[in-house]
Amino acid sequence: MEKREFAFLLFNGKTMLRHKGFKRTEAFRDSLKDLSPSDVYYSCAYYSSPEEEMSAKGWTGADLVFDIDADHIPTPCKKEHDTWRCRNCGTVGRGAKPEECSKCAGQKFDVIRWPCEICLEVAKKETIKLIEVLDTDFGFSPNELKLAFSGHRGYHVHIENEAIRMLSATARKEVVDYMMGIGLEPALQGFDFQRGTGPSLEDFGWKGRLARAAYESLTATQEQREKPSSKKIKSVLQQKERTLGRWKGEGPWVLVGKLSSSNWKRIIHEAIEKQSVKIDTVVTTDVHRLIRLSNTLHGETGLKKVEFDAGEIERFDPLKSAIAFADGAVRVEVAEAPQFRLGDTVYGSFKDQRVELPTAAAMFLLCKGVAKALEEPVVVQ
Amino acid sequence: MAKYPFTPEAAERVQELDLRTTELCNPEYGGIIARAEERIREAVEDALVSDQTTGPVGGSRLIKDDVELLSFPVAVMMVIYMNDKLLKRRYALAEAKRAYHLLRQDSEEKITTIAKRFNLSMKQVKTYIKSLETTSSGFYLDFTNYLKGTGIFHERKWKLVNRTMQHGEVQVTKDEIARLVAEEIRAHMEEKLDVKTDLKLPQDVVDRIEKLKQLHLALRKMHEEEMPKETVVDAFPPCVQKLYKTASDKGHLSHIERFTLTSFLLNAGMPVENVVECFRPASDFSEKMTRYQVEHIAGGRGGGQKYVPPKCDTLRTHGICTGGDEICERTWRPLQYYQKKIRLMKSHPSRQ
Repeated sequence: MEKREFAFLLFNGKTMLRHKGFKRTEAFRDSLKDLSPSDVYYSCAYYSSPEEEMSAKGWTGADLVFDIDADHIPTPCKKEHDTWRCRNCGTVGRGAKPEECSKCAGQKFDVIRWPCEICLEVAKKETIKLIEVLDTDFGFSPNELKLAFSGHRGYHVHIENEAIRMLSATARKEVVDYMMGIGLEPALQGFDFQRGTGPSLEDFGWKGRLARAAYESLTATQEQREKPSSKKIKSVLQQKERTLGRWKGEGPWVLVGKLSSSNWKRIIHEAIEKQSVKIDTVVTTDVHRLIRLSNTLHGETGLKKVEFDAGEIERFDPLKSAIAFADGAVRVEVAEAPQFRLGDTVYGSFKDQRVELPTAAAMFLLCKGVAKALEEPVVVQ
Repeated sequence: MAKYPFTPEAAERVQELDLRTTELCNPEYGGIIARAEERIREAVEDALVSDQTTGPVGGSRLIKDDVELLSFPVAVMMVIYMNDKLLKRRYALAEAKRAYHLLRQDSEEKITTIAKRFNLSMKQVKTYIKSLETTSSGFYLDFTNYLKGTGIFHERKWKLVNRTMQHGEVQVTKDEIARLVAEEIRAHMEEKLDVKTDLKLPQDVVDRIEKLKQLHLALRKMHEEEMPKETVVDAFPPCVQKLYKTASDKGHLSHIERFTLTSFLLNAGMPVENVVECFRPASDFSEKMTRYQVEHIAGGRGGGQKYVPPKCDTLRTHGICTGGDEICERTWRPLQYYQKKIRLMKSHPSRQ
């Protein structure tokens, strides 16, 4: 503990108290009680003097961390439940926030984001992908990973192994590029468009992944394809049965070697897109990263960042396991909120209503900034 | 040992032979000082030290090996004496390249042994390929060591994403190991050379050193290039061209895009005033803020550090690289592209 830097975000939303160090947990707990922060972070880095300013901290290594967030994965449902508001001119819109405001070109926004079931499922699937790549490609078995639900719309994976501790920022960037397929050269992974040869479906690492993704891409039906197929691809698909048969026998590339290189490039590009693991590139590269402390609350939801076994991920239900407030009820006035689930109950949707909700649900709306707590005492009957 | 004079066994042998600086002028040892001088000259002129270990067998060969071996510490001492940073780097590189050529052709056992000395332990896996009736040898290196050893290489083939990796072990060829080891040797040598000495050397040696120094300075002057006084927009790499156009078209640039454009323009010789002007079309332009940031990047304030644009690899990770053209294939830094393109434009004025 004494090697980590801690940081506290206060409820005013602006003050971040950094460069905090603690030698004993009691001192840490006391600080938490005194400050009552909305969010608590700790450094993935180890320092000899965490309380000093950056240049004097003495960096002695860092955990390898990955952050998967629905924010970085495109989902169609965002248009339904996310809204943004330009801080400069007040223009509002739905979906993920834009790079710049369409009216005034401002770049600062207030956002309201909802962790809906689809977004959570997508983040979970991506995390499962990450765990698999870390296992088969990097050699980190799932029980070497520290896995946690972020408290909002994603998952964090921490590797605290000594082997990776001294990896430089450059090396970590290479890991990021590996996960995302950045800088991948198909020719170096066994593709020869001239000869029509490529890696086999059973190959390891990116070779196998690309082969399998290309296979899926070529065998997808017309409806499943997002872009219209070229004539050549259509003709290949018409011979689908033959293609699949020969694929298993001789390898697919001879047959589809008839495709033009631009079609090939498109298929490979699609394959990389599908197979890449959509992690937050900045988090993994940053050797001084501050990341949310496990078992603390997320200021935007009132849910916990809760750790769990990688083996449990399929069954893990964040909207149940991350609930922090199990008792009591609170009366709130809700401006507007879509339907949402917590635990086994579905709440809302709400519009300009006063309602009594279980603490966790009320807290959730309060944290989202769409509700106010009412002073009226709770009537217990 | 004469092949790889930096190994502990070689060092032991050198001790055994017990050569003293005063004896260097002794005509019996003439071969050693001459070869040491030759090593340095080869480094200065060709950036590659030759291998003189092969020679006639028998008694005279043994002596030749010792000469080759002893010339190394002598050359090292002479380079340290010269006290020129650029020369030290060049010499370290030249000796490393010599080692690379020797390693490539050496046995697999030799390579793995020497690699181990530099903390590059690899596994060798021999697989028998039935259909071809041959045994192929694969080397596997732990990915953390691989990343550490290849951090400095730029070619795409070294990127982890373009390698075969399984359970944390990256497949490398014998040739690539030779390259990795050579790089360790270069770094190791640079460290060894990074000292000062006030050793008193015999006059003959001092004379030779002076000759070499002159040679080095003369060649260096020839290669020094000057950046043109005014920025040549046509020579901007495609990524910077896009940023430059976006800025003048009132488009939005992210933090890292602004940094890239600013640091590039400043390094290409654009004065601070003009760089600030580039950002004026932006809707949220604040002259005070922009000037502050540009001056900071130029190194005018506080820290005094001069910033350079991020490497192409970094730009690719952040989606700023536009894909690149033929010149991009051989460069890994935007400023490097700029210099190359200017050189090209000078030599082929009709070509763009």
